[in-house]
Amino acid sequence: MREKILCPVCQVSFLLREEKKDGDEVICPVCGAVLIMRMDEEKRHLERPPDMDPEEEIRRRMDNFAKLRTYHFNQMKNPLIEGLLAKRERFGDFYCPCKIDHVQENVCPCLETRMGSVEQNGKCHCGLFWKEPPKNGEK
Amino acid sequence: MKKITLYALSTCPFCRMAKGYFDKRDIEYEGIDVDMLNEKEKEETIQEVQKISGRRAFPVIVIGEEVIVGYDELRIGEVLDK
Repeated sequence: MREKILCPVCQVSFLLREEKKDGDEVICPVCGAVLIMRMDEEKRHLERPPDMDPEEEIRRRMDNFAKLRTYHFNQMKNPLIEGLLAKRERFGDFYCPCKIDHVQENVCPCLETRMGSVEQNGKCHCGLFWKEPPKNGEK
Repeated sequence: MKKITLYALSTCPFCRMAKGYFDKRDIEYEGIDVDMLNEKEKEETIQEVQKISGRRAFPVIVIGEEVIVGYDELRIGEVLDK
């Protein structure tokens, strides 16, 4: 029987769909994080890619998450990425650029987004993820 | 003239757009980058924002008695025209 494995980004455990070996890339099916499989003394765990450029890491995560949920971006994507990179630089992780609390639940994609705020409001709080493709000029 | 206060974060692009909205129209406002305040002021200001908006997210714009959470140009215009 396959065991569940913990995503170190969203802290949700999920079942791997296929066998992975040490060093293989895994995409979290909950938050879209790009992760690396590690096998230590026969115990396996996932970690964030230690050598990946931060911008590549967050871009891939948000693209994966949007694909998983069929969400869309608009022209604010790049300014929001800049905000996320500034948060990482100053506070150590990709915390939502529009929230003040630097806690796990605000790591992008934040908990309220993963819990369905885009379905309810049409977009996430900071306007990164959209339910529908934004019309021209919509911010 | 209604008093305008913009509570913002330096990392938030919509906060910058809200500043741009007022700057472009030469509308006087008090802009506060909450994350750039010292710890004591930051804590007090966050409490204030939470009390006003019910959230700990930005931007929060106060125009007179009205509170706008998030950047909504139409709503800002409506409130300014009232």
